[in-house]
Amino acid sequence: MKYEPWKALTASDQTRRAYQEALVRADSEISSLLQIDTECGAEDCRFDADSSLAGVPFSVKDNIAVRGFQFSCGSNILKGLTAPYTAAAVQRLLDIGALPVAKTNMDEFGMGSATENSAFQMTRNPWDTGRVPGGSSGGSAASVAAGLVPFSLGSDTGGSVRQPAAFCGIYGLKPTYGRISRYGLAAYASSLETVGLLSGDIDLLQEVFAAVSGRDSGDQTSNSIAPLNRPEENTPVAAVLSGMEGVTPEIAQGCRQAAEAMRSLGWEVKEASLPSLKYAVSAYYTIAMAEASANLARYTGIRYGYRSSRAVSQEELVRKTRNEAFGREVKLRILLGTHVLRSGFQDQYYIKAQKIRTRIRGEFDQIFSQADMILMPVFPVQAFEAASGMTPLQQKIADRFTLTANMAGIPALAFPAGLQDGLPAGMQLLGPAGSDELLMHYARCLQEVLPKDPLPLRLDPREVLHG
Amino acid sequence: MADVFIGLEIHIQLLTRSKVFCSCPADFGREPNTNVCPVCLGYPGVLPVLNREALQQAYMTGLALHCTMAQRALFDRKNYFYPDMAKNYQISQFSHPLGVNGWIEFDTQGERRRIRIHDIHLEEDAGKMIHTAEGAQLDYNRAGCSLLEIVTEPDFSSGREAEEFLQAFRTMVRFLGVCSGNMEEGSLRCDANVSVNHPGKGLGTKVEIKNLNSSRFVRKALEYEIRRQSRLLRTGRKIVQETRLWDEKRGRSESMRTKEEAHDYRYFPEPDLPPFWLDERFVQEAEDRMTELPLQVFDRYLREYQLPEDTARYLAEERSRCRFFEQTMEYYHHAKTAGSWIKEEPAAVGGPESGRVTPEHFAGLLKLCDEKAVTVQQAKEVLRLMGETGDAPEAIIEQEQLQGGVAEDELKAIIELVISRHPDTVKQIHDGNVKAVGFLMGKVMQESRGAADPLQAKAYLLEAMGISEAD
Ligand SMILES: [Zn+2]
Repeated sequence: MKYEPWKALTASDQTRRAYQEALVRADSEISSLLQIDTECGAEDCRFDADSSLAGVPFSVKDNIAVRGFQFSCGSNILKGLTAPYTAAAVQRLLDIGALPVAKTNMDEFGMGSATENSAFQMTRNPWDTGRVPGGSSGGSAASVAAGLVPFSLGSDTGGSVRQPAAFCGIYGLKPTYGRISRYGLAAYASSLETVGLLSGDIDLLQEVFAAVSGRDSGDQTSNSIAPLNRPEENTPVAAVLSGMEGVTPEIAQGCRQAAEAMRSLGWEVKEASLPSLKYAVSAYYTIAMAEASANLARYTGIRYGYRSSRAVSQEELVRKTRNEAFGREVKLRILLGTHVLRSGFQDQYYIKAQKIRTRIRGEFDQIFSQADMILMPVFPVQAFEAASGMTPLQQKIADRFTLTANMAGIPALAFPAGLQDGLPAGMQLLGPAGSDELLMHYARCLQEVLPKDPLPLRLDPREVLHG
Repeated sequence: MADVFIGLEIHIQLLTRSKVFCSCPADFGREPNTNVCPVCLGYPGVLPVLNREALQQAYMTGLALHCTMAQRALFDRKNYFYPDMAKNYQISQFSHPLGVNGWIEFDTQGERRRIRIHDIHLEEDAGKMIHTAEGAQLDYNRAGCSLLEIVTEPDFSSGREAEEFLQAFRTMVRFLGVCSGNMEEGSLRCDANVSVNHPGKGLGTKVEIKNLNSSRFVRKALEYEIRRQSRLLRTGRKIVQETRLWDEKRGRSESMRTKEEAHDYRYFPEPDLPPFWLDERFVQEAEDRMTELPLQVFDRYLREYQLPEDTARYLAEERSRCRFFEQTMEYYHHAKTAGSWIKEEPAAVGGPESGRVTPEHFAGLLKLCDEKAVTVQQAKEVLRLMGETGDAPEAIIEQEQLQGGVAEDELKAIIELVISRHPDTVKQIHDGNVKAVGFLMGKVMQESRGAADPLQAKAYLLEAMGISEAD
């Protein structure tokens, strides 16, 4: 019954038209959506399915395929491409009647932490339109925080779901690697990334996760591992990451507040450290860029997307198309990724990075042998100001808290931990592989004791049809 | 003189119904770009799903080549830009090939040779780029088809050897049922590495020759390359490490790229495909599907049936021939006769598309022939009709009234007729052109519909012309 107002919006052609207009209006100031189409997905959607999600609308990051919708990945190189097929996660939602209504803005191919690297538009943080929504799933987070949709599908390669969720004061789940099929997610760094979920409602988040997770024959890295269970009677043990250099006082305060909330629930709270954290950023970017250099090689203008009109040979066509249509950050990462994979350099970079990755995994195993979860900030700062807030290098270094979960393939959940200075200060819980449901359970418990701040909603589903 | 080292890199397209990483059909000859989907066109977001049957066929090939087989199949990405490669990387196996350290024997110039196999690895094929007047056109029907690469050690020392090996290899993969072996269609392709060096100096500089699209090209291209390198060696010039393209029309090769221009493929493990464990069930299935290989069949036919070598070789070239031959031998006991009939009458028996003759009927016909119930000529005609109708030989003989032999007076009447129709030929024979007798014999056999006994007919013919046999 909870989602009735949303279901009313998608119930008929007429209400979908009204919803379409409301979305256009509500998004005008935050520019979170690249394409709004409340009708396009209706044909494939099983509205009559026996599911609590039937009729619930959602938005989808523009690097996830939805047949008939655009599929730009935030890049000029895929401008004009219409997805010829539907991603597995989206298909599962369509099959139970949930309706995709919009594609969300993002950093080009997921490369960025502010959605400022989009080739198309700047997305604003609904809490303060002078600030960024985070990235790369900034459009998804902003569309949820502004109440345009109750949930959104994003992708998390090194924090791309959790960091914008934290900036926008909502939940953001990066699941265990393999629990949600990647089929239909345009690849950036295949071994690191997952489809992720964003919502302001932890119960809805869990329902959506239940719907989209599980082995998919289209993704051989997907699995149906049994969710981890914990004996009810045991007191949860939380490890708080120690030695958080470089975080703002507000973030430190948010983290203390979350730890306090845990204690107030009777949980055991202790400290833990990740000695390899200092190598994590370099190792992560080495692997991510290496994989990106191969994953992005397919964009040449030959089969689809943007094509340079200035080429006279096929070699030139590929070169000019890529030069004209990729953004600077994408080019930088492709070049570095190509470099680290060169023969003779692999030992120095790629293989060394994989060793660090193995070590980080080991350190997590160590912690999880004595704790059920780890608490740490999502990002060292709160949502920063648009245009000049943080340099690209500063943003990369700041990814250190989020990218470790991607390196280890473990689940991580960003949750709203109250406002500091009027802006959300998101924290995250990390757990061992398969503990996705448990993390959501812990977050639900924490929600009871943490301050509840209303989201900066710009659309009220009840008013759309009666206004 | 110089030492010659040749190694082959053979690519075979496996006979899978669908492509290696998507469910598109893998058949030939379709309209361009109709056997395609988002996966093999490299759309954003797609993922490969390994075709188990491709891995089975690859595994069987590895067993046939006596390779040490991997316990799990691991894949790598091989990065290079080329328009017919949809993703601009090829999913292949680099660090852990499916099979290593194998060997295979083949017969060449009356000698049995053993060639070592360096490795075999499974990968995906590329599409085709066709250059036309309007520019380059791309067809991705072949993109993503299952391809198995077999790399030999540099164990060949002449173009002829390599050519003969390739023919034997082709026979073997066709026998196994893992490849159609059609070089013209490109389902079997070959590149070669050639190194010519001073005697006893071991391997020299390696030159790769590409574009060898028939086994005959292989020989010509290799002989050309051996001559080219030998000449350089003799005149004290340097052999450059390079890749050369064979130009069949001009009968020469040309440099495509040198070592400096060689690709750095930047291999790294394919993150989209987890290790595929080749468990007991998988291995058992591949082993159960293995067949006796052509060379083993050949040896056995010599041993068990004492067949002449050429007959045994012919039969051992195709599984369908062996099957037909061996089934015939359940009803008939003159192996040599049966074998040579199958060899002489490929349209009727033993071929995959030959008619409806069953081994039992075939054996029946051979017996009738042995009993002289029909002549060989007649038997061939009966066999043709058996292929058309599927009937037993007795029924056809009865229906067509092809009982062997012709009554003496009837045969003499035919001979008179032939002589009267060809007075010029008779005159030639009387003038000493004995060979012309053959022409008249042909006419006699034709008139008797093959029923005449050739020896008897010839005797009567000569007698009718007043020539004694001794002449
Ligand atoms: Zn396909």
